[in-house]
Amino acid sequence: MSNPDPKNLVPAEQEVVVEQEAGPWRDAWKNFRKNKIALVGSVIVFFFIFLAIFGTWIAPEGINDQKLTERLKAPSSQYWFGTDDFGRDIFSRVILGARISLGVGFFSVIGSVVVGSALGIIAGYYGKWVDTIISRIFDIMLAFPSILLAIAVVSVLGPSLVNALIAIAIINIPNFGRLIRSKVLTVKQEEYITSARAIGMKDFRILLSHILPNSLAPVIVAGTLAIASAIIEAAALGFLGLGAQAPAPEWGKMLADARNYLRNAPWTMIFPGVAIMLTVLGFNLMGDGLRDALDPKMKT
Amino acid sequence: MRNKKIWSFLLFFGLILMLFLAACSSENENSEGNGEDGNTEGNSESSGEPKVLIFGRGGDSVNLDPITVTDGESFKVTQNVFETLVNFGEQDTTINPGLAKEWTVSEDGLTYTFMLEEGVKFHDGTDFNAEAVVANFERWSAGTADKYYYYKSMFGGFGDEEGHVIESVTADDEFTVTFKLKRPQAPFLKNIAMSPFGIASPTAFEAAGDSFGDNPVGTGPFKFVEWKRNDSITIEKFEDYWQEGLPKLDRVVFRAIPDNSARLNALLTGEIDLADGVNPSDSSSIEGDAALQLFERPSMNVGYLGLTNTRPPFDNKLVRQAMNHAIDKQAIVDAFFEGRAEVAVNPMPPSISGYNDQIEGYDYNPEKAKELLAEAGLADGFEMELWAMPVPRPYMPDGMKVAEVMQKNLADVGITAEIVSFEWATYLEKARNGEADAFMLGWTGDNGDADNFLYVLLDGDNIGSNNYSYYDSEELHELLIAAQSEVDEAKRNELYMQAQEIIHEDAPWVPLAHSTPLLAGKAELTGFLPHPTGSDKLHNVDFE
Repeated sequence: MSNPDPKNLVPAEQEVVVEQEAGPWRDAWKNFRKNKIALVGSVIVFFFIFLAIFGTWIAPEGINDQKLTERLKAPSSQYWFGTDDFGRDIFSRVILGARISLGVGFFSVIGSVVVGSALGIIAGYYGKWVDTIISRIFDIMLAFPSILLAIAVVSVLGPSLVNALIAIAIINIPNFGRLIRSKVLTVKQEEYITSARAIGMKDFRILLSHILPNSLAPVIVAGTLAIASAIIEAAALGFLGLGAQAPAPEWGKMLADARNYLRNAPWTMIFPGVAIMLTVLGFNLMGDGLRDALDPKMKT
Repeated sequence: MRNKKIWSFLLFFGLILMLFLAACSSENENSEGNGEDGNTEGNSESSGEPKVLIFGRGGDSVNLDPITVTDGESFKVTQNVFETLVNFGEQDTTINPGLAKEWTVSEDGLTYTFMLEEGVKFHDGTDFNAEAVVANFERWSAGTADKYYYYKSMFGGFGDEEGHVIESVTADDEFTVTFKLKRPQAPFLKNIAMSPFGIASPTAFEAAGDSFGDNPVGTGPFKFVEWKRNDSITIEKFEDYWQEGLPKLDRVVFRAIPDNSARLNALLTGEIDLADGVNPSDSSSIEGDAALQLFERPSMNVGYLGLTNTRPPFDNKLVRQAMNHAIDKQAIVDAFFEGRAEVAVNPMPPSISGYNDQIEGYDYNPEKAKELLAEAGLADGFEMELWAMPVPRPYMPDGMKVAEVMQKNLADVGITAEIVSFEWATYLEKARNGEADAFMLGWTGDNGDADNFLYVLLDGDNIGSNNYSYYDSEELHELLIAAQSEVDEAKRNELYMQAQEIIHEDAPWVPLAHSTPLLAGKAELTGFLPHPTGSDKLHNVDFE
């Protein structure tokens, strides 16, 4: 606000937002960069994102190139991670599985963030009976163990990857909804909201251009961490046969398929397991770093 | 601050590594420890403690009144609580004396006279005699198909019904029973040897009515103790058993452990003594383990991919034949049965008399399959659902995996198959209703007779019961009915051979494999002889 460009015709109230945002974001990046563990997490995450995007070109074989004569071969120079019980190259399948797991992670979280934020903002901003209804619905959903709820949703919709994604999105809605709601409750007491209302701004515009951007920081942190748990949930559903269907190289399903060979071909289980562990670890480390960076209370 | 974080990260990683290594080492310790446990148990057993066999199996029984059920898990138990008039051989389906010590058959094949063992008692103290046998058959023949499925299936009906084979059962004197048949039935003796026809105590079933299965009373070597649903069934030695010195065990506990790997793990940790349904992939490691022994159940089954013959495009014979050419059965047998099976050509295994070994199976030939599809007007392939059973079966150790191989085989000839599965009971019901395009299923023979495979599984009469593929051929039906009442063995076999040719040509199924089911037990177990029907008599089993 100190030196507004005279040529800038952007209305004043939006400028405030931009100014307020730019500072904290830059600070956050500075904080984040200093946090080595978070950087390690990001490297892991970006490595898997890279695999998810370019996996098709990296993987030496397809997802379902069965060679029954080559089944359960130990890791070797030809098959880096060994082969599974269909003689398929596990290295290729793990790489190609990154797209499925990350895809489910990202899109389910985006879905639950969008729906959860919408409900949370409405509940927080309007309060009263709207808040009561929405909050109680969240309470009811949170009262179920999440994986059980996911299983219930999938069994209604039928087992498939897309339905698993939907189920995971649904079970995470209340988490984001509550988070946003509590943030909105504090933000809406701020003076700039009162002034926006005083100059006659419509509710919808206030929600979208003031409250939402100012409530988003915790959602980004929670979203990153939620991707990690979404990946685990997708793997769990896949393991139970309720997620990705054969022959999709979903990591959880690969684990389930490998169960019978635990004793004589452990590599069928180790590599998909390690892949799940690493991605989840990556997202968790990155999420923790983001929390530290974005939390104003941590600023010293 | 930053240093601290790095240190905590390293510490965290170190902890993970330690946990991992600890897990590895404790596993080793466990298996060693268990070996020792096994030994000490063995020793204490020989020093006069009760000998208890814990038999791990895939599922719980449905009911312990054997006439009311059709599932193998029920018969596994009732086979030891009840006895039949005649018995199968120890490991085959030849006919041997049971509760009847000898019998005669009239020349026209219509009258069977049985001389019964004397001095046999039921577990509740009731005497076993001719009246008891008559009472049992009267009870069964007064039933309905829903109640006594096997009676209908083996003897053609109930009471005065036209199809009912048994005209009368009478007690001539205290230990002689005469059966009069309306028409000759070639496999009659094999039929009454089946587990469902175990003779029950008339006093007990009259008192209990429909709940007889909750407290079954027979003449067998073991008597029923308790049933914890979905967990275990306990039976114990019957002290007044009529055969001297038997049974050798004091108690048998049947435990349901659905997952094959978990069950084998239970055997390794000493929780159970004998495990049914061992994955073929585990067989080599069991053979290499001195504390365990591997049992092979003589093969009397068929695993197949049924094609619902009423659903397009499988209503077209060419498409069904194309499916037969498309699927690489040998590769499936080599990979998922570890070679412990033979590729199936006909709907019944070669050990059964009447098997037609002149028929050559459809070879694996994707090109031929494509030609046939083109001839059927489906050159571009089609989409279908491929149903795979959710549970391991003796004839199919891992349905899902085999389905994946078939899915790939079919994709190679342009058919897009989506693998579908349901919970087991739903799966059977839906498939029976003809809702599947193609479904994996199998059959373990009940009595080693060709009729028990061909008629039961493929005759139009059995649509809605065990003919899941809805295959209905008038020509086949005539042959099978003729064979049922043909008493001359050679002529009968000839009829079955013709029947198999018709089935081969019409290709209602893709026959996959005749497997050798595997069991594993502790090394000190003796006298266990797995029976091809899947119901094992445990009276000779002992611990060394």
